[in-house]
Amino acid sequence: MQLLKYIIIIAICAGIATYILPWYMAAAVAFVVTVNAKITPGKAFLAGFGGVGLTWLVVALYRDIPNEHILSGRMAKVLGLPNGFLFLLITIILGGIVGGMAGWSGGVMNKAFRK
Amino acid sequence: MRRLLAILPLILTAAVVYILDRPMGSTPALGRLLDPMNGCWASAEPTNKNFDNTIQLTGTQQPVKIWFDDRMVPHIEAANDHDLYMAQGYVHAYFRLWQMDLQTRAAGGRVSEVLGEKAVDFDRLQRRKGMVYGAENSLKAMEADPRSKGMLDAYTEGINQYISTLNYRSLPLEYKMIGFKPEPWTNLKCALLLKYMADDLTGYTEDIQLTILRNRLKQNNDMFNAHMLFDRVFAERNRGSITVIPSDTLPQTATLKAPVVPADSMMCVPLTGEDFAVNENEGKGSNNWALSGSRTKSGAPILCNDPHLGLNLPSLWYEMQLHAPGVNVYGVSLPGSPGVIIGFNDNISWGFTNNYRDVKDFYAIKEASANKYWFAGKELTYTKRIEEIGIKGMPAYKDTVRYTIHGPLIYDAHFLAPGKLKIPLALTWMAHRPSNEILSIYLLNRSSNYEQYVTAIQQFLCPAQNMLYADVQGNIALWGQGQFINKWKGQGRYIMDGSDSSTLWGQNIPVGENPHALNPAQGYLASANQTVTDTTYPYWYNGYFYEFRSWRINQVLRRTTSATVQDMFALQQDVYSVLAANVLPVVLQKLPMHTMNNKEKEWLQHLAGWDYKLTKNSKAATVFMVWWYYTYNRLASVGKGDDLKMSPERLVEMITGMDDAPYMLDEDILYACFKQASDSLTKLKKADKLEWYHAKNTTVKHLTKLPAFSYGDLEVGGWGNTVNAVKGDHGPSWRMVVQMSKGIEAYGTYPGGQSGNPGSKYYATFLDKWVKGEYYRLNFVPATAKPNDKDIKYTWTIQP
Repeated sequence: MQLLKYIIIIAICAGIATYILPWYMAAAVAFVVTVNAKITPGKAFLAGFGGVGLTWLVVALYRDIPNEHILSGRMAKVLGLPNGFLFLLITIILGGIVGGMAGWSGGVMNKAFRK
Repeated sequence: MRRLLAILPLILTAAVVYILDRPMGSTPALGRLLDPMNGCWASAEPTNKNFDNTIQLTGTQQPVKIWFDDRMVPHIEAANDHDLYMAQGYVHAYFRLWQMDLQTRAAGGRVSEVLGEKAVDFDRLQRRKGMVYGAENSLKAMEADPRSKGMLDAYTEGINQYISTLNYRSLPLEYKMIGFKPEPWTNLKCALLLKYMADDLTGYTEDIQLTILRNRLKQNNDMFNAHMLFDRVFAERNRGSITVIPSDTLPQTATLKAPVVPADSMMCVPLTGEDFAVNENEGKGSNNWALSGSRTKSGAPILCNDPHLGLNLPSLWYEMQLHAPGVNVYGVSLPGSPGVIIGFNDNISWGFTNNYRDVKDFYAIKEASANKYWFAGKELTYTKRIEEIGIKGMPAYKDTVRYTIHGPLIYDAHFLAPGKLKIPLALTWMAHRPSNEILSIYLLNRSSNYEQYVTAIQQFLCPAQNMLYADVQGNIALWGQGQFINKWKGQGRYIMDGSDSSTLWGQNIPVGENPHALNPAQGYLASANQTVTDTTYPYWYNGYFYEFRSWRINQVLRRTTSATVQDMFALQQDVYSVLAANVLPVVLQKLPMHTMNNKEKEWLQHLAGWDYKLTKNSKAATVFMVWWYYTYNRLASVGKGDDLKMSPERLVEMITGMDDAPYMLDEDILYACFKQASDSLTKLKKADKLEWYHAKNTTVKHLTKLPAFSYGDLEVGGWGNTVNAVKGDHGPSWRMVVQMSKGIEAYGTYPGGQSGNPGSKYYATFLDKWVKGEYYRLNFVPATAKPNDKDIKYTWTIQP
């Protein structure tokens, strides 16, 4: 329950941050949220992964569906992937990993400096 | 310690983010690129995007209205010229900015700045050719005339206002993938773009190879063969040409006297080449023809044009209508240049093909003491021009290019010519001279009759074009237009001695004496890059001409009596090969049937009863073309090297005995070529690529050459020797048919789409129709009419 809360907080804040600022602010958001949260480093990773991954999923779908997958199909071909869905997946995983690592960093730090 | 260790994940994360934010070699910064908010995903344009827009364009004097039809062709309605061209610049940039940027970088030798070290040699060649030097010269001429200056200033301002609206998210996709940003546009970039076209169309040369060949024969004291070769094989003109300008309309007298041929004009420039690379002429060609009313069903002239250029995406062309007081023109524009290049207005229509007269010559330079060279018995000092070539991720490279009285030293010890020629070569090229093609386009767009048309095109000096004309009064005309030099016979065919003053280019031929025809008795005019005139034209010239397409077009038009636009579509799609029709019956007889194996005979069965058409599914076409490929390469080569090949037209004339050329067709060689072809055909068959369109693999390539942004294996027939000259990567880049009736009826298509964005549904919208040989009815709104509401799909309102 607590995890879901952090996922949603990170997702919303990352969305707002990257709308105005560069892409890596999503990682900064994940770190700032988890470093202040009382959760284990493992959960912090999941919060970051889920939060940034969710933002990226929602924004990518928001662009991809009205575009009828023209761009994702082409970009998939650039990377040698068979279809645009895989390109979407890679996008989300990349965002998730960056968010997860940032979340994990926050979690570890929080644990080390707590008390 | 525990706390210290706790920082490690953060450092690791920061490192990962840092790596993902930087390009690695040619791999773009993946984090930045894949970010759905700002990265490549931002180029995913909704297929139902509403393009309606209100735009603030500072500097416009009045509001401008732009409406787009359902093919996204903009129709710009402005209150004055300034606003018109400012809006055109804005629209070009909105849809095609990255392409404009890259093409002008290529023209000016600035590709290394964005692609890195691998492009340095390319950039150096562009600089040494004098591309920037030529563009600067032309820019001075363009800015000296208030009309062209006003046009350029407004156009550039429009582009720059668009660029200033961009942030990383709204950058065109390719900028994100390659990792650079647009820089402010300048008038010089427009001039560079026109030089890019001049280079594409007048850059081809055989001067160096011909010189090496001649010297080799001379050294062997083989004067008989030398005479035979240069008179018969590499003749200055093709013999069987049906010329661009019918001979009965040529100007009879020349105001300039032919200059005296210098006594030692055949002097041998000491030149030796090693394995000179074959300089393949890519067969850039084009067709245009116009029929008088006497040959059309409607009684009104019909004008047709299909310029053959590189098949690229984003397409070279951008279709539009420009309307302001004094101008109402429709056609294709070049993103990066104001105005409409090929098209029509309420009264006239025009089309271009490349003229191919040689306007590019080389001089061997004799070096003297330091920084000097010999000319007319004196030592002259080089003018130096330092070309600084920026390289991505590296310090800039400085190349000193030395300029002589003839022009820049394109090749010297610091930049060897192909074949590792040691001698410095200077380049004299019409594209270096100041000329104002922009003014020509300005006037052409506004011309309403033949006299105005002639005045307009007189400003068009390089690249020389066969400029075809038709009007609503019923006139047709054709000019072999450009600036040419009154040369002595043979001048510039070979590398000339740069120390001899008699080799300098002489006077300009008055532009009014260029070959032209108005309403000829034959009732039509046609050009397809063939020889411009017969020998009754008083001035000497040489060039690189093609004949096959002209033979076919003339063959068809001569028997055309009541043409419709549909007949003209059919002729633009014509894939009848004059080459095959002439060659095949002759060579088939020479094959030794009795010694052939079954597989070889099988290929011949494909050819039985073939109609000589290179249709897309034809297997006979593949068999013939593969066989011809080997035969031509074998028979057209001269001497041991492959430095130079005679033209296919000449070879056809020789093997079919069309003239007195002494040529024996060796059966063994022919059979050997057939055997080679048989091996290649077997491979094609195994790969299931025996159908002609598979075998030739026509591809419309994105400028980055990324297959993901390109379209290959297109189902189209034809080749360079047919009217529908669709080759592997060249072909009809715009097809247009205009009937000059009251209420102009115009049709067209090009192999691309109006948007340069690979994530847009308008990226290659027209390609399908182009492949099928179909046309769109062009939505031209006459000056006195208003557009139909149902044609207006989107509207832009531009406010000052």
